Amino acid sequence: MPTLEGSMSLLTVDEITGGYGDMEVLHEVSVELDTGEIVTVIGPNGAGKSTLMKTIFGLLQPTGGEIRFDGKSITGLAPDKIVRLGMAYVPQVENVFPSLTAQENLEMGAFILSHNYSDRIDDIYELFPLLKARRRQRVGKMSGGERQMVAMGRALMLNPKLILLDEPSAALAPNLAAMIFDRIAAINQTGVAILIVEQNAKESLKLSDRGYVLAGGRNRFEDTGKNLLMNKEIGELYLGG
Amino acid sequence: MSRLPQLIVYGIISGSIISLGGIGVSLTYSILGFSNFAHGDIMALGAYICFGVFVLFTGLGIGNTPIGPLSFGFSFVLSFVSALALTALATVVIDRILFKRLRKAGSIILMMASIGLALGLRNILQFFWGPQPHYYIEKIQVASVIPGLGIRIKPDQIFIIITTVALVVLVHCFLQYTKMGKAMRASADNIALARVTGINTDRVILWTWVIGGALAATAGILTGIENKFITPELGWQMLLSVFAAVILGGLGNPYGAILGGMIIGLSEEVSTAFISTGYKPAVAFAIMIIMLLVKPTGLLGRRK
Repeated sequence: MPTLEGSMSLLTVDEITGGYGDMEVLHEVSVELDTGEIVTVIGPNGAGKSTLMKTIFGLLQPTGGEIRFDGKSITGLAPDKIVRLGMAYVPQVENVFPSLTAQENLEMGAFILSHNYSDRIDDIYELFPLLKARRRQRVGKMSGGERQMVAMGRALMLNPKLILLDEPSAALAPNLAAMIFDRIAAINQTGVAILIVEQNAKESLKLSDRGYVLAGGRNRFEDTGKNLLMNKEIGELYLGG
Repeated sequence: MSRLPQLIVYGIISGSIISLGGIGVSLTYSILGFSNFAHGDIMALGAYICFGVFVLFTGLGIGNTPIGPLSFGFSFVLSFVSALALTALATVVIDRILFKRLRKAGSIILMMASIGLALGLRNILQFFWGPQPHYYIEKIQVASVIPGLGIRIKPDQIFIIITTVALVVLVHCFLQYTKMGKAMRASADNIALARVTGINTDRVILWTWVIGGALAATAGILTGIENKFITPELGWQMLLSVFAAVILGGLGNPYGAILGGMIIGLSEEVSTAFISTGYKPAVAFAIMIIMLLVKPTGLLGRRK
């Protein structure tokens, strides 16, 4: 079904099909996200959540469908071009430069800028005060939670309109995961739209405006975050009861 | 054992040259993702470019009156510097012609291509200059004795050590304090992440060849200064020591290459106190194998 031209969505994923080479993982998946929204895509392992993120960000080429961002089609565009349009991506693993210090990781996030970006680094330190204290420490020696902060900070350096977060709380202790979600809400408060994919999705849905359930590479449900949390069937199937 | 201080001096000289070669191998491995077996022959290329420019300058009448106690003069120093730039340029051109189109084919294909390049370069040098040695320096330099320690060292050898230290400090400052240097370290960590972060990885690859090529040329030229002559085989003969150094220090870490280079250079030279000089390459080889068995990630290496 074609969506209306000139709609206000920041990101429109329109019936994309794709995956890795011949292996089709996504089957006509559609996701929509408005300016300033937090949207979570949940689903079991292997549902195609990470594949969806990589396809949106241009790391994988879709075989069908269209992706529009900020009014332009970005289908088939390379990641380094998409970054310049105001989208940032935080992969689930290997999302930091371990031999660089925290500050150097942030500087790398601003690589394409030619002007002074020290103000921006100060903004990031305000968001993650812990990083300021550890700015000269190598990220390879940091804990999982600190690395996640560095990764998110790096993605924020270019002041993006949208951040894609791939399982930001994976492998984190519950208190750290709560802290990360608290920071995600704070980032959203500054006007940045956020698309999250999560396997353990309760925390994420709590702060989401809307959510999608993906299973077997297809859209299954779509509703507000609250409604998805209260939906018994979804609770049993996808939120661990 | 009284020869030990002297052997340590020789070890530092040969370790300097190995380290300079190793930095390039290490950077190429971590950023471009393959073991460049042509690196030794790039050293030889640099040494021959220096020789060619030197002959040209001498023909143009640029004087080569020895500077101070050194056995070479202004013309040679100028040739040295020109050779660094020209070798760096040559490696960038080689990358565009050969490696760039193979980048997507994977590390094994790139490594095989580098073996082809190694053979090609060596034979081109032999074609133009022949297999016989060409002399950088004709006259014999007398070594000075450092009193008290019983160490004999030539001014040219002090030049080799000072040049190495200066370049290592320069590379260190570049990697630590410049935006491009940091981007190179970031790309060495994870080039895919560098790309999604917006780092211009093509520019990073260009700089990798420029630095690797210039340091390789330096290693080749310094070998020529130490031996007084060059042959087309000069780099190939050093390749084992260079790879042993890089593996010992930790593949992909340029600082590891410097440390590994010094250890290999010292071990090779000090070993001659106990075993025949002919076994020097075996010493490097033995250290490499032991390191691969005990700690394959090397002294300063990280698990990827």
